[in-house]
Amino acid sequence: MRDKFIFSPWLSLAPAMTIVLILLGASLFYAIAESLGIISVIGQNEITLSAFRDTLNFHSEFWISLGFSLWISIASTLISSAVALLLAVWLSEHRGNTDTLALNWNLAFPHLVWSVALLLFLSQSGLLARWAAMIGLISAPVDFPVLVRDRFGIGIILSYLGKEIPFLTLIILAVLRSQSVEYDVVAENLGASKWQRLRYVTIPQVLPALLAGALLVFGFIFSSYEVPALLGIGYPRALPVLALRSFLDADLRARSEGMVISLIITFIVMVVAVISLRLGERKE
Amino acid sequence: MTAVNILSLHKTYPNQSAPVLTDFSLSINNGEMIALLGPSRSGKSTLLKLITGIERPDSGDIQFDGSSILNIDPNKRGAVLMFQKSYLFPFLNVAENISFGLKVQGVSSETIGAEVKRMLDLIGLPGIEKRKPGQLSGGEGQRVALARALVTNPKLLLLDEPLSSLDTSVRMNLQEAIRDIQRELGVTTMFVTHDLGEAMAMSYRMALLLNGEIVALDRPENLFHHPRSLAAAKFMGVSTFLNGNQVWGPKEAEVESYKKLYAIRPEHILVQKEASENSVEGVVSDCIFRGEYVEYQVAVDGTTVRAQMPMPATMFPHGERVYVNFPRQYLFEVSHR
Amino acid sequence: MKYLTTSSLRLILYLILIAPFLLFVAYAFSTRWFFPHPFPIEWTVFTFQRVLDDTRTISSMAQGLWIALLVSVLSLILGFPAARVLGLRRFRGRHLVWMLFFLPTIIPPLAIGMGLNILFLQIGLAGTIPGVVLAHIIPTLPYTIFTLSSAFARFDENYEFQALALGASPIQTFFKVTLRLMAPSLVVAILFAFLISWSQYLLTLLIGGGQIITLPILLFSAASGGNPSTIATLSLLFIAPPVLVIVATARSLNRHGNEIREQY
Repeated sequence: MRDKFIFSPWLSLAPAMTIVLILLGASLFYAIAESLGIISVIGQNEITLSAFRDTLNFHSEFWISLGFSLWISIASTLISSAVALLLAVWLSEHRGNTDTLALNWNLAFPHLVWSVALLLFLSQSGLLARWAAMIGLISAPVDFPVLVRDRFGIGIILSYLGKEIPFLTLIILAVLRSQSVEYDVVAENLGASKWQRLRYVTIPQVLPALLAGALLVFGFIFSSYEVPALLGIGYPRALPVLALRSFLDADLRARSEGMVISLIITFIVMVVAVISLRLGERKE
Repeated sequence: MTAVNILSLHKTYPNQSAPVLTDFSLSINNGEMIALLGPSRSGKSTLLKLITGIERPDSGDIQFDGSSILNIDPNKRGAVLMFQKSYLFPFLNVAENISFGLKVQGVSSETIGAEVKRMLDLIGLPGIEKRKPGQLSGGEGQRVALARALVTNPKLLLLDEPLSSLDTSVRMNLQEAIRDIQRELGVTTMFVTHDLGEAMAMSYRMALLLNGEIVALDRPENLFHHPRSLAAAKFMGVSTFLNGNQVWGPKEAEVESYKKLYAIRPEHILVQKEASENSVEGVVSDCIFRGEYVEYQVAVDGTTVRAQMPMPATMFPHGERVYVNFPRQYLFEVSHR
Repeated sequence: MKYLTTSSLRLILYLILIAPFLLFVAYAFSTRWFFPHPFPIEWTVFTFQRVLDDTRTISSMAQGLWIALLVSVLSLILGFPAARVLGLRRFRGRHLVWMLFFLPTIIPPLAIGMGLNILFLQIGLAGTIPGVVLAHIIPTLPYTIFTLSSAFARFDENYEFQALALGASPIQTFFKVTLRLMAPSLVVAILFAFLISWSQYLLTLLIGGGQIITLPILLFSAASGGNPSTIATLSLLFIAPPVLVIVATARSLNRHGNEIREQY
């Protein structure tokens, strides 16, 4: 068996590589082609930059959506990182056997389901509104503040927080638990107080992982469709929503614009991913 | 520099029935290096945890220069521990690691820089300030860890098997370095180990610890040649014990006889073809060439006597009938405890 | 006192984590629960029954299960030899191969789906199960490969040589030794490939083009304007497999759980 593998690793790699290369290559090829206006379905074969021009036009909705997407991605990432850091440190100091299971339980809920839950809980006739009515804070659904499908993307951000806080907490906890507690003991033995240990030992230990995780989260949120599609409103729309709606538009020119936006999203996400990978490598 | 008094410590862990330490007392003189030799589970690490404040004793006291440290926070005690693993913070470089203890005390950065340099010179590794812990060898890592502990000017330096994970040659080197540094700084030091040779090399006095009790405490050479008890003798590598009668009396009529236990070190036992005074007959069950000496295992009366004779010595084949000779001048008495 | 604070904080955390599940149960098993009432008035299995009786529910679940099964088996077959080589061998270009398998985890499904949409329309795979399966393999295959290759990195080939030396044929060695040793990681890899496919929304939407309806597609359209009980019931059905898997594999999750989230 060994001989076969020494003979050529590429033989074993070929099936998986072929699939990935063909599918990724083709999708990239078609994305670029279509963004340049080559839409073979309708026999349009001329290269044009008009889709790029229309998309990046100063008055285009693209800029609004970009701003909105950056807002929800950055806000969600920052808040969830901060909360996760506090939560993880607290959990590692007060160990519970079921913590990891409880946090992992959250992984069982896809973003879509979590958003649906938020919708049922926070909408104007949702559970929270009913409880508010029970204690007399409001008397009709319209009195309840708009928390999902709102202008500021509060529902979207809340939905991401619910998913990303447990995720980042697990990452930080894993680091805290793998880095032996001895470092803490050593630091205390050398004279560091509780806060000094948090500042000089714990945070430097988890920072690379937290940063890499946060960038991953940012990239994911920035490019994901379901949550803003479900919990967002018609205007402003998140960038992925704008991209997909344009792509599925009956107007075929809009299709090219959808592709342009999707390529821009991909580019941004890949830059972020490369930074995140670099950070991960430096840690090792 | 500090004199350390450990007074009658008792410690039992919550979920265990047997106590780890019972009535443990030990005094360490100012500037002394004492070795604590004991097998695993003898209570060594518990003692260190009590001194550093990771655990609290059930009763008893620990005093530095006559005043109790039990109510001082672990990070203010000045009892600095160095482990088998260096535990250098992987995210800090060598200089930052060494200065950690000073930084948390709020020492100014000029002082820190000078101290780091002084420490690196002391441990014989000048100029490695900027290296990361991952780029250090095992021995270098332990040297840096030692510097990190010493820079805080500890009242008591605790070394917990600091050399156990190192290769023999590196280990010898570091033993020497630690001895020199300790003598130069005069820091009161406790060296904990399970290795007899290391304990002897690294101490003015050594304590033998068994089941949470000190069974012997003396200078290494005294303990080696004349352990007072059976347990201490076994610790020191003695495996041959003889029951005998001491016959004493000025006149024949007043002879008294006492039951006594005698011991002899394996390197003092002679294995030879001819019978002589104080010898018994036996059969060679094994004869091992060890380089500097030959080790014999001789079956005598259903037990095995282990002896070592320096080279050149005769190799006997398995099954050979020989005489085992216990020279009178090397026999010493031990108590049964 | 301190213990009490710790316990109550932990209880709150757990409650938040478990809240969506309780919410779904409350909505799915109650009836005529309208606005001002803070808690369900009447418990019933009627709503749940009605959703289950709907043929669209059953067929979407069946279709999703079938697709996820094909995807996880295919990912395993394609990924196993690649993972073995990546885990055990050092060869020129290995780093590049890593990067290639890493790409699908970085490139947003949105971009992949939109590009593939055009290709599959042209070659007739759009709106078909094979088309959707192929699309799902893009996110699952890297996951399978990374899980298995990290297991292979800890794998000691001497077990195989020992088996061969004892007279086992290469095929016997593969089934009786290699697969046995890899079993825990194989289970994890296959389960999570299954879950990634099961909960995939965007790729199914873009490739299935309205003809392949899986549970997430159904749930999404229900959530965009359906009645809360139906939404809750569909959600419960949707999360049933992931919850079962997470609880069943709780112990090994510390290592593998984090990698999967990104795919949801």
